[in-house]
Amino acid sequence: MDDPAYGVCTCRGKKRRGLVETLVFGLIGAENHSLEAETTSGLQGVLQGFDPRIKVVALLTLIIAAVSTQRLTVLAMMFALATGLAVISKIRIVRLFRQVWLGVLVFSGIIVLPAVFIVPGEAIAHLPVVGWAITLQGVRSAAFVIGRAETAATLSLLLVLTTPWPHVLKALSSLGVPAAVVAVLGMTYRYIFVLMQSALQMAEARQSRLIGPLDGPARRALMMTMIGTLLSKTLALGSDVHAAMVARGYRGEVRLLDDFRTKPADWVFLLAALGIAATIIGARL
Amino acid sequence: MSGTAFDFQDVAYAYRAHRALDGVSFSVQLGERVALLGANGSGKSTLLRMMDALCFASGGMATALGAPLSEKAFEDEAANFAFRRRVGLVFQNPDVQLFNPTVLDELAFGPLQLGWDKAKVKAAIEATLQRFNIAHLRDRPPHRLSGGEKKRVAIASVIITEPDVLLLDEPTAALDPKSRAELVAFLAHGLGEGRTVVIATHDLDIIEDVAERTIVLQEGKVAADGRTLDILHDIDLLRQTHLVFEHHHSHGQGHGHDHPHGLHGHIHRG
Repeated sequence: MDDPAYGVCTCRGKKRRGLVETLVFGLIGAENHSLEAETTSGLQGVLQGFDPRIKVVALLTLIIAAVSTQRLTVLAMMFALATGLAVISKIRIVRLFRQVWLGVLVFSGIIVLPAVFIVPGEAIAHLPVVGWAITLQGVRSAAFVIGRAETAATLSLLLVLTTPWPHVLKALSSLGVPAAVVAVLGMTYRYIFVLMQSALQMAEARQSRLIGPLDGPARRALMMTMIGTLLSKTLALGSDVHAAMVARGYRGEVRLLDDFRTKPADWVFLLAALGIAATIIGARL
Repeated sequence: MSGTAFDFQDVAYAYRAHRALDGVSFSVQLGERVALLGANGSGKSTLLRMMDALCFASGGMATALGAPLSEKAFEDEAANFAFRRRVGLVFQNPDVQLFNPTVLDELAFGPLQLGWDKAKVKAAIEATLQRFNIAHLRDRPPHRLSGGEKKRVAIASVIITEPDVLLLDEPTAALDPKSRAELVAFLAHGLGEGRTVVIATHDLDIIEDVAERTIVLQEGKVAADGRTLDILHDIDLLRQTHLVFEHHHSHGQGHGHDHPHGLHGHIHRG
């Protein structure tokens, strides 16, 4: 009965995840990330207590300051500030490492790796075998890119992890972002879960009927079928949602209820962020 | 309240080649409670969408609250606005209806689109949260709610604007028995007097409680129109329109008997 014809997996050793299993695990992981984000935004941390509008402006200002700095030491201080904000907002460093730092390091690292060799300057080491020179200026350039990306990503994630997504949307709306953009962002977030649920159910239904490993073409065909079905469901859902909006008086312009209140602490945080940015940009630090 | 809420005469509608409604004629008076009863694919949902001016008849004449239900009439912003203020539709699938990020935003959506001022909207939200016993859900995203909670929020999001006419599409679909019983009790006693209610369903068990009149649809045509109790006792009509089926019960020890059966229970001959 070990014959694949009978549908029994004949693989040995560490079991490889199939396409459907990978998809199922990925969807469950995405759902879990979202649940965790909703949980952290409800914690009694420092950033969680600020008015979302102030938080959006202040964190955006700090991001601009971080990407504008000309000195690695200042960039390191901005990164330390972002990490400190995470700590006092009860965001676990392990989580930041797994969710942001590692991914950004790998992604931006691959992009800037050639710069270490290409940028002309003082050679500080040579690669064995090929003998390529690693330049000080190249390493500095790479460190700037990676440092800016890590700091900006950390500050952005802090906004999402310490603010319920609906409040981020309301804050954007009250800061003058067009209602249509806010509505699209809101509905994308809202319906991504409905579609994820749908994709998960399709993947599980398929998984429950699979009795053996699929070969490459069959896996690709399965993926294409699932994408097509999901797209068609998306179109039907989109049309129904529009009808539901029209039924409740929607005439092309979304109106939102905005009931935020600012406190003195919000203004202190905003002024501090503006002060840091003004110093870095003004003094060309 | 007197007058005609809906008047449909020989109305037709087709999805490409498929005729969803064919020569449908009936009228609904203001304050009346009517059930649209029919098996899957009988045209109930299409008719309900037409009554809410989300699609328009391709043949025949349809009016709502004294005004024509036509695409041309609804191009007029004022007419559209006046209609939306008075007619509300609860969709069958709450995931379609609940498109806002939180329950509170969901309740605020309708009143804000209808131009209510924010103080009035906030007061209406608080009253509705209490009325539907959903205050604890106010900041929850709708996609995290249970099926029963979603349905309650969906109905609350329409009722908040206090429409004169309430249309409900399969309100008890996919609900557990407790949620279903609570919803039926609300539809029977919680909607207040004088409101026109049209409920599309194939759930025979609820219509006696929620509607005094029933229109039976079959393959896009009106198969019967009469008092709900009379319709429920017409087993031949229900069998012919696929709303009941012959069912064999075994009561152990080899004893058994056949009788008509609806979705949720026995139908006993009057």
